[in-house]
Order: sequence, then C-alpha cells, then structure tokens
Amino acid sequence: MSFSPLISQLIEVLCCLPGVGPKSAQRMAFHLLQRDREGAKRMATTLLEAVERIGHCSQCRSLSEQSLCKLCASSRRDRSLLCVVESPIDVQAVLQAADYKGMFFVLMGHLSPLDGIGPIDIGLDKLAARLDEGEIREVILATNPTAEGEATAHYIAEIIESRAGIRATRIAHGVPVGGELEFVNSSTLSRAFNARTEV
Amino acid sequence: MRQSLQASYVLHSRPYRNTSKLLDIFSREQGRRVLVARGARQGNSRLQGQLLPFIPLLLSWQGQGEVQTLTAAETGTLLTPLKGRKVLTAFYLNELLLRLLARDDPHPALYDAYAQTLQRLSGSSDRASDEEAGLRLFECFLLQELGYGLVLDHEVSSGGVLQAQQLYCYQPERGPWVIESKQDCENGLLVHGSTLLALQQGDLYAADAHTEHHNLMLREAKMLIRINLARHLGAKPLQSRELYIQQKQLLKS
Ligand SMILES: [Zn+2]
Repeated sequence: MSFSPLISQLIEVLCCLPGVGPKSAQRMAFHLLQRDREGAKRMATTLLEAVERIGHCSQCRSLSEQSLCKLCASSRRDRSLLCVVESPIDVQAVLQAADYKGMFFVLMGHLSPLDGIGPIDIGLDKLAARLDEGEIREVILATNPTAEGEATAHYIAEIIESRAGIRATRIAHGVPVGGELEFVNSSTLSRAFNARTEV
Repeated sequence: MRQSLQASYVLHSRPYRNTSKLLDIFSREQGRRVLVARGARQGNSRLQGQLLPFIPLLLSWQGQGEVQTLTAAETGTLLTPLKGRKVLTAFYLNELLLRLLARDDPHPALYDAYAQTLQRLSGSSDRASDEEAGLRLFECFLLQELGYGLVLDHEVSSGGVLQAQQLYCYQPERGPWVIESKQDCENGLLVHGSTLLALQQGDLYAADAHTEHHNLMLREAKMLIRINLARHLGAKPLQSRELYIQQKQLLKS
C-alpha cells in the first residue's frame, strides 16, 4: 500500500524510535491521526521544546534543562560517594534498585578504541577534575558488563588509583536472581563463577 | 553459500538498523567476514550475551555478497573472562587484525596464534612481562603471516647465522646487519642477536621475572616490531595505543 507523502514521512520518522519497525510505526501514525490529534500536537510541541532546552548537567553530564541537575543540586546526598554509569537511564536504574545516597557521573557512552571513542569523548577530563576537588572518597564503577564497559571501568580505576585517598570499587556481575543456571549464557555464568564469594 | 559451525571470533560489532548487529568476524577457515545478526539487540534475543569479542564461537551463516546473514551461534570452550587492563590489550589485538587483515583471506595459523594469545591473556599470570612477551610474539607472527616477516634467521651482509652476543643494526627494508659498535648503526635500530633469536624461536618469556637482560630483550623487541608494523599501518595511529597516551595526562603523579 502506498500512502500520501506526508503520511509516509510520518511513518518514516517514527521508525527512528528504538524497537519500532515499519509495521508499528504505521499503527502509531494512524492512531495519532485518527484518534488523538490533540495528543499529537502536544507531543510535537513537547518534543520540540525538549530538544531545544535539554542539555547536559555541568557536573554529572546527565540530561537536564538546568545547568545543575536535581541530583547534583540536592543538599541531601552524600558527596563523598560517586557512582559512574554509562547512560542517564542507568542513573534511574540505580536509584530505583539500590539504596544509594551518593552522587553520579554519566559517561554518555564507553571507551571504544575500535570506534575511535576515547577518554575525552566520555568526559574523563571532567571526572579527573572532579576527583581533584577533594570531596570524593569512593568511586563505584557501574559500567555495563561488556568488554567495553570492563575496559572503561579499569581505565577509570587506574586514574583513581593515581590519586591518594580515593577508593575504586566495581559492581558485581553474575547470575540473575530468580533465573535458572541452565538458561544463563555461559559468559555470564563463567563471570559469576570467577567472582564467587564465601557463604 | 552456507557455512556451518565455523570456529570464529567477533573482532568488532556495531548496531545496525533497529535491532540488529553488524559483526566483523575472524573465522579460522574463512578469514575476516562481515555478518549481520538480525534481532541480536532485541532484549529477548539469545544472541544478546553471546556475540561478544574475545570468546571462541561456532558461527553459521549464509547468503551472498559482502554481508552475509548469521543463522546460528554457539559458544565454544570458555576461558576465564578477561579482566581490567587485559581487555584493553585484547582490543589492541583486534584493532591490529582489523587494520591489517584483508577480508575473505583465510589464515588458520594466525587464527590459532590469536586464540592462543587470548588464552594466555586470560590465564593466571599477572606478570606484565608475560603479557608483553605474548603480544610481541603475536605481532611478529602476524607480520610473518601477512608476508612482511622480520628477517630473523640470518645476517644480511654476509648471510651468516645470528649470534646471541653480537650487536646488529636492523633496517626495516633489509634486515639485521652485523656492526662492530653502537655508533655504526645508521638508519636502523640497534638490537642484540639474543632478541632476534628469541623472536625466531617464539620464546620471549622469562624463566625468572625482571632480569636486566630480559627487560632489555622486551624493549628491543617492542621497538623492532613497532617500526616494522608502522610501515604497514600507515599514518593513522592505532586507537588502542592512543588510549594509553591519553591516560597519562589524566593520571596524577
Ligand atoms: Zn548533575
């Protein structure tokens, strides 16, 4: 079936969303046009405003429309603890899952030598400057359990170790709670096996 | 063309379209290839935690043309996961292969050397000198496999055998020249015969760590291989080496 140029264009732009293929984009487009034109208008103006006004927090690099995000501006958080994550969505994940009262630093990616992504691209110059301010006592490295995430964590750990009085820790990786060993992929299992603890 | 259960490593992967991955693989029998793994980035995909670098895999694919389609993946014998600094070293190996190895050019012996180097890396030794020795031997073998091998079996002015105690001047275009004193080495690199012989015999590992002589050998081997690699790598610097240089500026001394 061929649509009018504008409808085709709408379907095409919706396809840029993660997990949305042409079929679901088509359904979304028709839903907006047939049933929710008001919602569509609001979506459009919000989208425009969001991309214009949301930038990066000057301290943690997370997404924020203020120069200092809510977490960094809060006086209730423990400023001696810093958790390093790859993306803003990881900040939310840690906040929801763990009773963590410290600060965050968002890399907005990871080191990837084969893609030409180096330390400055992920803000490690800013992180080093932050460590030198003297408030931080422990840095929790919560990058993803991928080869790139592991390399990034180690790289940062060496930067931390060159500074006295700051501890670097890495979150544990392993078998998902409630999962069955049989179905866990072997790389995960082997990692969990190597990081076993006393019972 | 259909290939089934080919021993392979993923050298690099990048996101492709919405949910797929484009894999640059090194297969033992087929050499470097590009495969598309459809749906590999979907949350429920079994491939998600499987198509990782540095892990021996058995891959099946089919199709024609430049990019073929992955049809199945199994994890081979698993190694202890690489940790910390060793992951960066392993990325360096992959970058070398991506830069120097042409597509569809099989190199089974190089594949085996790569697998063995990774295995040594993930092994128990934490001695930096062992890691370095393993790297040098891999680089040396890589050059040889690509047809740019170092001259390690004779001296080029007389054709005579190399002597461990003798000093040589190594010129990348020619090979080692016998010299009488250090001052005689022009347009070349000063190396001891023992370094050249150790590279030839594939034995750069130290019996006892940190002897003065062994450190000298490692230093010489590093420079020797670096100038030989540089001739084939071109002007673009190796990114994984750049990482180390950039890190120095972030360390506090
Ligand atoms: Zn912030």
